[in-house]
Amino acid sequence: MLDMHSVPQQQPQGRQFNPYTENGGTILAIAGADFSVIAGDTRQSEGYSIQTRYAPKVFRLTDKAVLAVNGFAADGNMFVKKVRQRLEWYRHAHAKDMPIRAIARLIQTMLYARRFFPYYVYNILGGIEEDGTGAVYSFDPVGSYERETCRAAGAAQSLVQPFLDNQIYFKNQTPAAGTSFPSHLPLSTVLSLVIDSFTSATERHIEVGDGLEMYVVLARESTALQGVEGIGGVQEITMTEEGHRVFVIRRELKKD
Amino acid sequence: MFLTRSEYDRGVNTFSPEGRLFQVEYAIEAIKLGSTTVGIRTQEGVVLGVEKRVQSPLLESSSIEKIMEIDTHLGCAMSGLTADARTMIDHARVTAQNHSFTYDERIKVESVTQAVCDLALRFGESVHDEEAMMSRPFGVALLIAGIDELGPQLYHTDPSGTFMRYDAKAIGSGSEAAQSELQDKWSKQMTLREAHILTLRVLKQVMEEKLDQHNVQLAQVTKAKGFEILDEAQLKEIIDEM
Repeated sequence: MLDMHSVPQQQPQGRQFNPYTENGGTILAIAGADFSVIAGDTRQSEGYSIQTRYAPKVFRLTDKAVLAVNGFAADGNMFVKKVRQRLEWYRHAHAKDMPIRAIARLIQTMLYARRFFPYYVYNILGGIEEDGTGAVYSFDPVGSYERETCRAAGAAQSLVQPFLDNQIYFKNQTPAAGTSFPSHLPLSTVLSLVIDSFTSATERHIEVGDGLEMYVVLARESTALQGVEGIGGVQEITMTEEGHRVFVIRRELKKD
Repeated sequence: MFLTRSEYDRGVNTFSPEGRLFQVEYAIEAIKLGSTTVGIRTQEGVVLGVEKRVQSPLLESSSIEKIMEIDTHLGCAMSGLTADARTMIDHARVTAQNHSFTYDERIKVESVTQAVCDLALRFGESVHDEEAMMSRPFGVALLIAGIDELGPQLYHTDPSGTFMRYDAKAIGSGSEAAQSELQDKWSKQMTLREAHILTLRVLKQVMEEKLDQHNVQLAQVTKAKGFEILDEAQLKEIIDEM
């Protein structure tokens, strides 16, 4: 008989490959009456290390739709690539750009198709609806979505969303007697709120910072640009002659 | 006409030295044996009309189905081998449903027509994921009517997989006479009611039997109510107005 005491006990060992990483950063979108602002910081990190100070999380899809992707950067980049491919196929098949409402539904079906090995990303889609109104659609990683006026996602969601709820939906505020709160804010106010959201998030969250990219999508004949001429670093990136216009505003955020 | 049969009659996918696909040409001939079918586009909507050949007094005329719904905003009338149309319309319906599932919008009339025509040219080829192989071209022509963001539209498809948009089109056995009548009478400002009446008049001209509410069928696609097949009461009302 074997001497059990002389054989070292074999302990069970577990090994697991984790296919996901969390790369930090925050994204945010706000819809106006006839415009939409979609923003994100440009820091990409893993744990306490910054991998790069410039990794865009916001992407122009068409002249009326911009997609912000936050979470696992590799999944996010691949997802944007696949959405863009589907948009091109659609353009060839149907001889038109996909409406933002259709893009929103497409993103749902693409995300849900991976229900049991999801893209580890939160998506926010901003742009102009077919009726010319500003739109924001937000998604969870498996495709649940809704149209909203504003939404923050990512590392600093818990810091930014309550601020937006208060400043955009006027939650916990009471209008002065005989007045009411506006349902949509002007572009200058929205841009200020976005900048304040990101500077504050940079102060309080280690994964947010480095740079800020704000995309502005304007509906045809929108006059929202009046009153924001003072803002520096605006670059127009409109592609078509259809009338919708897209701008990007790049700003620095603290790098510590 | 095609008495000089040759080796090139055999393979469905073999060109003759003159560059013709005989089986496809014969399929187009098959449509000329079918009952007359008319489609008219107006600003308000599109009208489809078919002749129902009631070969026997014992035949239930309501069981002849030559106009079918593809989606709420799309309808289809056929002439030729109507059994073949079921395969095509089934494909069109699946395409339309898949589109609204994926994109949350109604498919365009041209897109659904394109999808049907893609199928029409897949004969002699095993269709991916489908067990059976289609061995011959479809022997049916379709008039696809619908409304989308570009307004009311009417498309004609044939067995070669070609499709074209028309203001008014007739297919089937009486199509030559019917088409020239449509060319004379169609106008841009026509109302939907005028299109109903013109459809029936054209059908009446080419039909052997006396036209009544049992041996014709009318359908329309309008912005407000989408696709609908007119019932016999509505049909009688229009016939009386003729």
